[in-house]
Amino acid sequence: MNYKSLIFILLVSIIPNACKKDFLERKPLVGATEDNFYKTPEDAIAAVNAAYAPLQFEISEGGHFRWFWGDIMSDDAIKGGSGDNDTNELLRLETFQGPANTSLLEGEWSADFEGIYRANVVLERVPGIQMDAALKARVLGEARFIRAWFYYNLVTMFGGVPLVDHVLAPSEYNMPRASAEQIWAFIESDLSAAADALPVKSAYAQADLGRITKGAAQALLVKTHLWQEHWAEAQSLAETIVQSNEYQLVSDYSKIFTSEGENNSESVFEIQYMNASGGNWGKNNANEGTFTNVFQRARGAFGGYGFNIPTESFVQEFFKEGFEDPRLKSTVFRVGDVMGDRGTFTKDATGGFPYDYYPKKYFSNKSEEAPFGDPNPNGGSNDRVIRYSDVLLMHAEAAFHNGNEDAARTSLNLVRKRARGTSTTLLPNVTASGQALLDAIYHERRVELGLEGHRFFDLVRIKRAQTVLGPLGYQETTHRLFPIPQSQIQATNGALTQNPGY
Amino acid sequence: MNKWIFLLCMFIMTASASAQIRVSGVISSKSEPLIGVTIAVQGTAKGTTTDIDGKFQIEVADENAVLAVSYTGYTTQQITIGKQRTLTILLEETASIINEVVVVGYGSQKRSSISGAVSTITSDEISELPVLRTEQALQGRTAGVQVTQNSGAPGSALTVRVRGTGTIGNSDPLYIVDGVPVDGLDFLNTNDIESINVLKDAASAAIYGARGANGVVLITTKGGKKDQEGKISYDAYFGMQQTWKTANLLSAREYAILSNEAHIAAGKTPLPEFANPDQLGAGTNWVDAIFEKAPMSSHQLSFSGGTAKSTYSISGNYFDQDGIVGGSKSGFKRYTVRMNGSQAVKKWLTLGTNIGLTNLKRQFLAENNEFTTPLVRALNMDPVTPIRKADGTYSYSRYSDTDITNPLNAIDQTHDKWQSYRIVGLAYADLDLSHGLHLRSTYSVDATFANQNTFFPKFDLSNDPALSDAPAGEKRLINSVVQQSNIWRSWQWENVLNWNHTFGERHNLGLTAGTTSSENRHEYAGGANTNLPSNDPKDAYISNTIDPIASQSAYGGAEESALLSYFGRANYELDGTYLFSAVMRADGSSRFGANNRYGYFPSFSAGWVISHNDFWKVKSVNFLKLRASWGRNGNQNIGNYGFSTIVNSGQNYTFGPGQTITNGNVALTAANPDLKWETITQTDIGLDAEFFNGRLSLTTDYYIKNTSDMLYAAPIPLTGGTQAPVRNVASVSNKGYELALQYRNRDHELKYSVGGNIAFVKNKVTGLGEGGEPVYGGRVQSGNSTVTKTEVGHPIGSFYGFVTEGLFQNQDEISRHAFQNENTAPGDIKFKDLNGDNVIDSKDQTYIGNPSPKFTYGATIDLEYKGFDLGIFLQGSQGNDIYNATVRYDFSYVNRPVSVLKRWTGPNTSNSEPRVNLNDPNQNARVSDRFVEDGSYIRIKNVQLGYNLPKSILNKIKLEKFRIYVSAQNLYTITKYSGMDPEIGAYGGALASGIDRGFYPQARVLLGGINVTF
Repeated sequence: MNYKSLIFILLVSIIPNACKKDFLERKPLVGATEDNFYKTPEDAIAAVNAAYAPLQFEISEGGHFRWFWGDIMSDDAIKGGSGDNDTNELLRLETFQGPANTSLLEGEWSADFEGIYRANVVLERVPGIQMDAALKARVLGEARFIRAWFYYNLVTMFGGVPLVDHVLAPSEYNMPRASAEQIWAFIESDLSAAADALPVKSAYAQADLGRITKGAAQALLVKTHLWQEHWAEAQSLAETIVQSNEYQLVSDYSKIFTSEGENNSESVFEIQYMNASGGNWGKNNANEGTFTNVFQRARGAFGGYGFNIPTESFVQEFFKEGFEDPRLKSTVFRVGDVMGDRGTFTKDATGGFPYDYYPKKYFSNKSEEAPFGDPNPNGGSNDRVIRYSDVLLMHAEAAFHNGNEDAARTSLNLVRKRARGTSTTLLPNVTASGQALLDAIYHERRVELGLEGHRFFDLVRIKRAQTVLGPLGYQETTHRLFPIPQSQIQATNGALTQNPGY
Repeated sequence: MNKWIFLLCMFIMTASASAQIRVSGVISSKSEPLIGVTIAVQGTAKGTTTDIDGKFQIEVADENAVLAVSYTGYTTQQITIGKQRTLTILLEETASIINEVVVVGYGSQKRSSISGAVSTITSDEISELPVLRTEQALQGRTAGVQVTQNSGAPGSALTVRVRGTGTIGNSDPLYIVDGVPVDGLDFLNTNDIESINVLKDAASAAIYGARGANGVVLITTKGGKKDQEGKISYDAYFGMQQTWKTANLLSAREYAILSNEAHIAAGKTPLPEFANPDQLGAGTNWVDAIFEKAPMSSHQLSFSGGTAKSTYSISGNYFDQDGIVGGSKSGFKRYTVRMNGSQAVKKWLTLGTNIGLTNLKRQFLAENNEFTTPLVRALNMDPVTPIRKADGTYSYSRYSDTDITNPLNAIDQTHDKWQSYRIVGLAYADLDLSHGLHLRSTYSVDATFANQNTFFPKFDLSNDPALSDAPAGEKRLINSVVQQSNIWRSWQWENVLNWNHTFGERHNLGLTAGTTSSENRHEYAGGANTNLPSNDPKDAYISNTIDPIASQSAYGGAEESALLSYFGRANYELDGTYLFSAVMRADGSSRFGANNRYGYFPSFSAGWVISHNDFWKVKSVNFLKLRASWGRNGNQNIGNYGFSTIVNSGQNYTFGPGQTITNGNVALTAANPDLKWETITQTDIGLDAEFFNGRLSLTTDYYIKNTSDMLYAAPIPLTGGTQAPVRNVASVSNKGYELALQYRNRDHELKYSVGGNIAFVKNKVTGLGEGGEPVYGGRVQSGNSTVTKTEVGHPIGSFYGFVTEGLFQNQDEISRHAFQNENTAPGDIKFKDLNGDNVIDSKDQTYIGNPSPKFTYGATIDLEYKGFDLGIFLQGSQGNDIYNATVRYDFSYVNRPVSVLKRWTGPNTSNSEPRVNLNDPNQNARVSDRFVEDGSYIRIKNVQLGYNLPKSILNKIKLEKFRIYVSAQNLYTITKYSGMDPEIGAYGGALASGIDRGFYPQARVLLGGINVTF
C-alpha cells in the first residue's frame, strides 16, 4: 500500500460521515406544513375557504346530493336514471328497503364530518393568528356556521352522531354517538355565536358575495328551532331577519332559478358552483362545478342522466286550488315544453323513457355549459339552500303554532303575492284559520320550495311522513332516520350503534 | 498451453507400435485432482474413470491409440499415447454452473460458494426472446420471479413479484444496473445486458437494507474483455405483431333479438327499428375493427474489445414497436447508446465508466380501465351502429351509454405523446491496495428529462352539427392541450472496501465494508390551455392561442429524498465446504419520520457443500450443497414526506359576483411522525445439486417470508374528517417452494438442454391494524361494487361476492328460496343464502376466488445440430382466478358475448345463463362467482429456429459469426379463460389484481433476425 492510497481511503471514508446532519432532513418543497401555516390573515381566510369547500361536495364516497334525500326520498320525485340498476342503492332507499351499507350515505357522512373537521381546524388555529379582530371574528363565525350546517345535515338524517368539537387525535376516532338533543344544542350554540359574529349580507364586500351572513346563521337557527318545536324562538328570530331589511322576494318567481337569479335579493344561504373550473369528480377535487345539472337533465337528445323525476302527486299539488299554480311552469317540464335551447321535450327525444315530467329548477342551457373540459360534472347552478320565502313560510308556521294566525297569514300571503305576480285571479290571499291555515302553509311550502331538497325533511319534521309516505313503505319508527353507514359501525369497532330497524 | 501441446506432439511423432500397452496417469484441474473423469479408448468399447485421487489405469492396443478424456464442465481432450506410459493430464474448465460467477450485491462469488438464494439469467437467455423491456425477458426464466404483463401496449410496465406479493403497497423489486439503483427498466436495451441476477432471499438482499424487501434484480451490462481483439457486431430483427384471439360477441341481428326480449321483460316497448332483426345481419365487429397488424424492429451495432490494460464496449440501438391497437398511437421508439470502458492507469489504479443514453418516444392510448380504453369500448359497443356514416366520417351509437363511444374515433382523437432523454452513468476508481485489499469508489448519476404533450382536439360526430345531436362523449366542441415536463435526477456515491484472504490454504475470508449516500429529486412543471385556433396536433402548444394569457393554467413543483447507508459483510469459507456469511446494513432515509430515521438490517447464511466431504461416495451426485439463510430487509417505497402534515392547497370555493375561484388550504391527511420502513423477515432453506458430472443440475428452495409493519392507510372512521395516514400496521406472510432443474448434454452432434422451473407460493394476510378491518378494493362498474376483500387469514385481494346456484326455473322455486328482490322472476339467478336468514343480502357474500396462482412455471428446450439451433420456451400459471368485468352490465344497451344466446327463455332452457331484462331487477350482474373464471394458462412464449454458418465458410468470408433466425412469440396459449388474454396483471395494485377490465392483449409476434460479428 502506498501513501496516495491511504490519503484516498481517508478521504472517501470520511466524506459520507461528514455529510451534514440535515442531509436526511427533507421537508416538503411544495405546500406548507401545519407547523408553518396559520400565520397571516390570508392563511386564516384560506383556512375558512377550505371549510366552505365541502359544502360543494356531492359525490364523496358515493353521491349525496341534497335533492337525493329531500326530493327523491319524498313523494315529490322518483330516482329516474337509465333504469333500476342505475344507482340502485338510491332506489332501495326511496322505496324504504334501504341498505345500511350504501356508499351514498357513506358519502353524506364523510362530507359532513370532513366539513366539521375543517371548521374545527379554523376554530383551533385562527385564534392564534395576529390579525384584525373584526376579520378574525368573521372567519370564526363562518366556521361555526359551517360546523353547524354539517351537524344539521347529520342530525336530521341520522339523529344523534359523534359530537366532534375539536380536531380528533387518532385515539379519539372511535367516538360513540351523542344524543340528538346534544347535537341540536351544539348546533344552536354554534349558530347563535355565528349570528353574533357575522356581518349582515349588505355589509360584505362584493368580492365576498357567497360568504355566510348573519341572516344565514339566523335562518338556519330558525329551522333548528322548528325541528325542536321551539315556536316562540323561531317566530321572534324569523321576525329579526324580516326586520333586518336585508332580504326581499324577487318580483318574478320564474327568474329565481336562472343564472341571473343566483345570489339575488332573496338568497339567504346559497352554495356556490361555477361551470369553468374543469369539473367536479369526488370530494377533494379542487374544481367548483356541480353534477346536479347533468343528473337532472333528461337523457337522450338532452344529454343528461334523467334523475329526480317529478311525480304525478307533486304536479297535482299545483292544481289543488282549482287552477294551475304559475310556479309549476318554473318547477317542472311537461311533454311539449321547450327545454331551453336544448329542444322540445318529447318522450322519443329523451330516449323513450316513459316519464311525463322532468325537473326544471336546476336545468341549464347548452349555452351556459362549461367553456372547456367535460360539461357533465361542470354545471354552474348554485344550490339555493335557504331562500327568503322559506324564512317567511317558517315564520308563518311558527307564528301559527304560537297562536298568531294574523302574523302567519301575513307571511304566507307575502309568498303567494309574489307568486301570483300581476294576476288578479290566481293565488288569492289565504284567509283560512286553524288546521286549514296550517295545511295552507304546508301546501305553500311544497309548491314554493318544490324540488329544492326540503320535502322529505319537512314531512318528517311536521310528522306527516307516515301518512304521506306510508304507502311507499315508510315506517315512522325506522325511516324517520337513515341508517348509520354500516362501514362506519365496522370502522369504529361498533362504537357507533345502528339506528332502530336497520 | 501451447508449449504443452507442442511437447505432446513431439511425443506422438516419436511413438512406435507395440502390443497391449498399460498406461496410467493423473488427471487434474488447475487446482485439484479430478474424480470420475471418463477415459475412453477411441474406436473401442474400452474405458475407465479416475479414482478419488484423479488416478487411472488403462490398457491400449498400440502407441497409435487415442484416449478421449472427458469430464462435464471441462474441455474434452484427445491424446495419442505414443511413447508415453504415465500421463499427467490437465483439464481446462469450461463454464459449469457451479463454477459460474454470480454477481451479488457489491461483489461477485462463485455459485458453489453462495449460501443465499440467487438466480441467474444469462445474456443468451435474454437474447433468445427479442423484446422491448428487460422484465419481459425475466418471465418464466427463474423460479420465484413472477412476471405479468399488465398490458400488451408496447413499453407498458410489467408486474414483477419476487416470491409473492409482500405488501399491499409497492411490491416492485429493487432494480440495480451496474450498481446504480434505477426506477423502471424501459430505458434499458436488452441487447446490452450481460447477465441478470435476482437476489431472492433476505440474506442475499440484506446488503440493500431498506430497499431489499421485495427482492433485488441486479443487471450487469456488457463490457469489453481484456486481451480481446476488436469485434464488430450487427444484430437486427424485424417482426409483425397481430392479435391471436378475437372476441365472440353478438351480431347485429342477435343483438336486436335480445334487445327486444330485454325490453319486453322489463315491461317496455321494443325499439321500433329492431322490429325485423333479420334485416340487420352481422353488423359491426368492433373488436376486429380496432386491431391491426403492427411492425416491430430492432437494429444494433456494437464494438468491443480490450488490451492488457483496457476494455471498451460501445453499442447503439434503435428499437421501434407499434401497437396492435392504434398502431403508432400506442407506438414506442427507443434510441440507446451505451459506452462501457475501463483503463488500468497504474498498477494499483483502474478507472472506468459505464454510460447509457436513452431517448424514448412513446404514445399512449388509455389502458386497463373500464371507462375509456379502446378495447372496453369495442367489447361493449352495439353491433348495429356502423363504423362510419355514409359520408365516411365516424358514426356514433344511438344506444350506447356515456363511456361507450366509437373506439376508432376515440383512437383518432387521442394524441398523447411522451418523449424522454435519460442518462444512467457511472465512473469508478478501483484501487488495488495490495494484500487482497481493494477499494472502489463509484459516483453515479441517473437523470431523466421528459416532456409530455396531450392534445384534446375538437370533433363532433353529430349527424347534424347544427343540432349537435351526438351524445357528450362523441363530441368535443372546444379543444385543449396539456404540456408537462419532468426532470428526475439522482446521484449516488458509493465507497466499498473489499478484502479477500486465504489463510493456511483452508480458510478463506472475505470482508466488505462500504458507505453510500444518494439523493433523488423530481421537478415538474406543466400547463394547459383551451380553445386553440388550430385543431392540428402539430400545433398543440399552450401558447398557440389567440389570447394565451387569458385561458392558460400552470403548475409546478418538486420533491426530494435522501438515503445515507453503511454496510458490511463477512464471508468465511472452510475448505470450500463450510460457508458462512453475515451482513449488516444501516439505512438512514429522509422518508422515515424523525422518530425512526435509521433502520438496521442484519442477515446470516450458511452453506455446507456435502459433496466436498471425504465420506461422499455417491458418484452420480458430483455436487451437493445444503444452505440456509435468515435475514431482515426493508421496503421504503412509501412516498416522500409521509411523516409531515402537508397543508394542501386547492381546497377552493368561489366567491363574488363573477364567481372567482378562491384558494382554500387544509391538511387532507393526518400526520404520522412514527412512519418507518416495512420489514420483511425471511428464512430460506435450499439445496443445490449436480448429477452425472453436471449434466443434471437442480436448485430448490423453501422459504417463509413474513412482512411486518406493512405500510397501509388502514381506514380510520370518517368521523376524523381526514384521510387515513399511512401507518406501519399490517402484516402478510408468503410461504413458498421453488424448484429449478436443467439437463444438458453436449457430448454428441445433437446437443441439447432441457430445463424447467416451478414456484409455489401461498400468500396470507396476517394483520391489518388494530381493528383488523377488512379492506375492499377493485371496484368494477359492471357489478357496481368492489370485487376484492383483503382480510386476515386470506390471501391479499381475494375475490369476494355472491355464490350462484343455478337459475330459478319457475315462480315456485322463487317463493321457496330466500328473498332476493320483489321483481325476481323465473330465469333469474338464484343466489345462495349462505347465512340461512332467508334474505339474500350483503351478508351472503363469501370468498369466490384468488387472483394469485398456486404455482407458476417455465420450461425451455434448446437443441443444436450442426449449424442449426432450436429454442422453445414455455411459460404458464396455474390456479389463479380472473374476474371477468369486461361487459358493462351497468349499461342496458351494451353488446354481450355470444354465451348470452344460451339464455333462459322458459323452464329448463338454461340453468346458468339468466334471462335478459333491460333493468336486471334481480341484479344478476352483481359481483358473484358467475364472473370468476379459471385463469390458468400455458403459453408457448417463444419458438426460435436459427442457423449459424459453419467456421469453414466464416473463415473464408472473414466473419466470426453469422446467424439468421426466425422466431414466434406467444405462438399458442392453452387456457379456459374466455376473455382476450389470460395474463391479467395487477393494474390498480395488489388489491385489484386479476380483474379483467378489457385488457390490451399481448400480440403474437412473428419475426426474423440476423447476428453478424466480424
